[in-house]
Amino acid sequence: MADDKMLNLISQEGDSYSVAVKIATKSELVKTMIDEDEDDADEVQEVPLPNVKSSVLTKVIDFLKHDDAEAMTEIDKPLKSSNMSEVVQNWYAEFVDVDQELLFELILAANYMDIKSLLDLTCATVASMIKGKTPEEIRKTFNIVNDFTPEEEAQVREENKWCEEA
Amino acid sequence: MSLGNAKIIRFESGWEEEIKVKALGRLQDHLNNGAEKGQDKLFNNNDYVLTYTVCYNMCTQRTPYNWSENLYAKHGETIEEYLKDHVLGALKEKTDAFLLKELQHRWKNHMIMNKWLQKFFMYLDRYYVKHHSLPTLAIAGLRKFKTLIYDEVKKDVANAMLVIIDEERDGKVVDRDLLRQVVELFESMGMGSLDSYTADLEEPLLVTTREYYARKREEWIAKDSTPDYLIKAEKALEDEKERVLNYLNSHSECKVLRVCEEELLEKCQKTLLDKEGSGCKALLANDKTEDLERMFALFNRLDNGLSPMAKIVEEYIAFVGHSFIDEREARLKAEEKKEKPDDPDFIKKLLGCHAKYTDVIKAHFTNHPNFQKAMKEAFTDIMNRSVGSYTNAELLSTFSDRILKAGGEKMSETEVDSSLDKLVELFSYLDDKDFFGEVFRNQLAKRLLNQKSASDDLEKAMISKLKVQVGTQFTSKMEGMLNDLSTALEHEKAFKEFRENDSEKSRKVLDTAVQVLTTGNWPTYQCPEISLPNQMQLAVDQFMRFYNAEGTTRRVKWFYSLGTVKIKAAFPGKEGKMSTYDLEVATLQAAAIMAFEDGKSYTFTELADKLMMDPKFLKPVMHSLCCGKYKVIAKNPSTSKITDKDSFTVNKKFKSPNKKVKIPMASLDANANTKKVEEDRSITIDAALVRIMKSRKTLDHQTLIAEVLSQLHFFKPNAKQIKKRIESLLEREYLERSEDNPGHYNYLA
Repeated sequence: MADDKMLNLISQEGDSYSVAVKIATKSELVKTMIDEDEDDADEVQEVPLPNVKSSVLTKVIDFLKHDDAEAMTEIDKPLKSSNMSEVVQNWYAEFVDVDQELLFELILAANYMDIKSLLDLTCATVASMIKGKTPEEIRKTFNIVNDFTPEEEAQVREENKWCEEA
Repeated sequence: MSLGNAKIIRFESGWEEEIKVKALGRLQDHLNNGAEKGQDKLFNNNDYVLTYTVCYNMCTQRTPYNWSENLYAKHGETIEEYLKDHVLGALKEKTDAFLLKELQHRWKNHMIMNKWLQKFFMYLDRYYVKHHSLPTLAIAGLRKFKTLIYDEVKKDVANAMLVIIDEERDGKVVDRDLLRQVVELFESMGMGSLDSYTADLEEPLLVTTREYYARKREEWIAKDSTPDYLIKAEKALEDEKERVLNYLNSHSECKVLRVCEEELLEKCQKTLLDKEGSGCKALLANDKTEDLERMFALFNRLDNGLSPMAKIVEEYIAFVGHSFIDEREARLKAEEKKEKPDDPDFIKKLLGCHAKYTDVIKAHFTNHPNFQKAMKEAFTDIMNRSVGSYTNAELLSTFSDRILKAGGEKMSETEVDSSLDKLVELFSYLDDKDFFGEVFRNQLAKRLLNQKSASDDLEKAMISKLKVQVGTQFTSKMEGMLNDLSTALEHEKAFKEFRENDSEKSRKVLDTAVQVLTTGNWPTYQCPEISLPNQMQLAVDQFMRFYNAEGTTRRVKWFYSLGTVKIKAAFPGKEGKMSTYDLEVATLQAAAIMAFEDGKSYTFTELADKLMMDPKFLKPVMHSLCCGKYKVIAKNPSTSKITDKDSFTVNKKFKSPNKKVKIPMASLDANANTKKVEEDRSITIDAALVRIMKSRKTLDHQTLIAEVLSQLHFFKPNAKQIKKRIESLLEREYLERSEDNPGHYNYLA
């Protein structure tokens, strides 16, 4: 397959984005479609992605292109810092410095398209938002209503005592 | 958390309305009729992604709406139903090649189905399968095929294949692509191991292969000659190898070939080798090297397969060698004349035979150790059987003498060298190498002293060849002889200078050259005493003055029997003129001739007195002068036998067409001294016995004899000889019989 061969990624809204095959196939989903047709080389293939909105897909494409130019470093687990710029290169830290809504949509897109590095990055970002926080702070961060009864909460705390001691 | 896609998909609607209709239905349609419909793409990206997305969504909904488990189960059911409803029945109806074709077709379909299902349900493989440690979709699909289809039909399929393979063996053209694809199915069914292939196809294949070639063996052996049989066997092995390459698993190669080797070669090896008129012996007799090479290559495939063939080769070479010996024996019986220690034709035949089979073994039997051993055993047997009064050791040495002597055989130096190489190889088989050594040393001495040697380099080369074969001990005396001669050459120069500077009077002394040799290096020679004529005695005295002046303490003994003298002699010729001749004679002959210088005649007894010489030595001297070709002395009566009463005078009628006359004389020494060899052997055995006992202190009889034998390289004494030496050592109190240990000896320091 030639390096400069292109394909079109189609978003939920039907917008078409031309991307190099080499870059698009970092998505395992795209790859399963492309592997098929090595013979009709001239035709530009259309890859519909009905679960991904245009706004998310453009971000995903940005990510894939940059990953091709400057591969993202492997993320160490457990996270060594809650500051993402200490975990990955600056570009990637800035890439995930977005509102929560978009961050979660990126996670879903990464999962749907099966892009391991993007999934790692976005999940690590969510983890960094939890790291070092109390349950109350976490609830606040993610806008979660505490639906435990006081008895339930006491029991959960008791069961997870080891966690706070550490 | 509020995440996108608000609409929940219910399982029934997702499965029945979406996946089953839009994807699975089409897939089954395609599989059932698609092959005929042509190549149009089964699912385009859009179709594919839609189904993937439905599955993805169904698997990512939160419980209780997560359908992963249900979809995984449906995946299995879909395959199972299809295989049961559409595939099994189709296969059950078919047999033979049709069965294989149908299976191959159905297997291809299954692969298509499996691939698409795997793609549609890909999301299951990523999380659900991993978290629940389930077989992946691909494996699950293969397992369904294995239990539902493969296990049902594998026996029939294997049988159909075996029938086709036997047909191909008989020369029929078969559909190899089909066979290869079915073999691939057998391989896949092992799920990563070869177990299914091995158990379900390979094992029965080995059985039918064995049956097939057992039949062929009986058929071929009954009607074919050994070479024809082997050509067929070779072809069969090649074909089987090719067959594995064409469509079987490469692991089967050695197993299939092993079966063929057992049936075609191992089970009839003896019959093939011994076959009357075309077996191994017949091939050797007719120099069928190509057939022999094939035989070698084929039997070399079997464990220990070459031993019987090597045995036949050994017997055959021994047979050829012995036939030469038989010929020689018959010839000796038929010939009336006295035997000579010389039989070049016989030795040439042995050399030729040795060279021929060495080449055969090298060129056609890859110099295999078994055959080298066969060669060695055969020639050890041949070389140690001597007929007539001379041993093969003597004949061999005499042959070497012929080619090392100037004017012997007409050969270039390279030819001589290579002949010597071959000769030394024959020598290496001799048991009594010491005897060869003794004869060779005598002949070497003769060549050197009489300046008969063709080339110094060749003499050295021969000695070093012997040295390589049996070691320095064997050749030290021979090397000593050559060394003596080169020092003698330097001596001679010094002596010449000495003569030039000697006093006026002595300068007129006869021109003399003297070689001083080391007694131990040379054979023992007779040393007859004689009163030398004055001039000669002066020369001897002069040399002694020179030699003693060098300050050596060595005792000098003169061997007049070995020297030569040139005499200018004048005999009355035509018309009263004198004719002069240059006589070349031995020192003893010269002394005898000089005795007649006064023109008188003497009786034998008078002559012996005058020369102060032992009559037993004088007799051969006078015989050479009066009874040979050149009669310079006349004898009365002129018979060819010398008696004490004969009288001698100068032969005034002596005439010869040549000015130069060489008068040969019979040697005073026997050619080789067998007695000396025997004596040396006793000494060597004694030395070995003492050496062994000194280090072991006490030893039993059998071990001692074995150790002695292992130490002796130049000859092989029998146990009786060794026992005799042990007894001698007991007598001389080097050893004693052990008192506490019967049958043991103790060493006495």
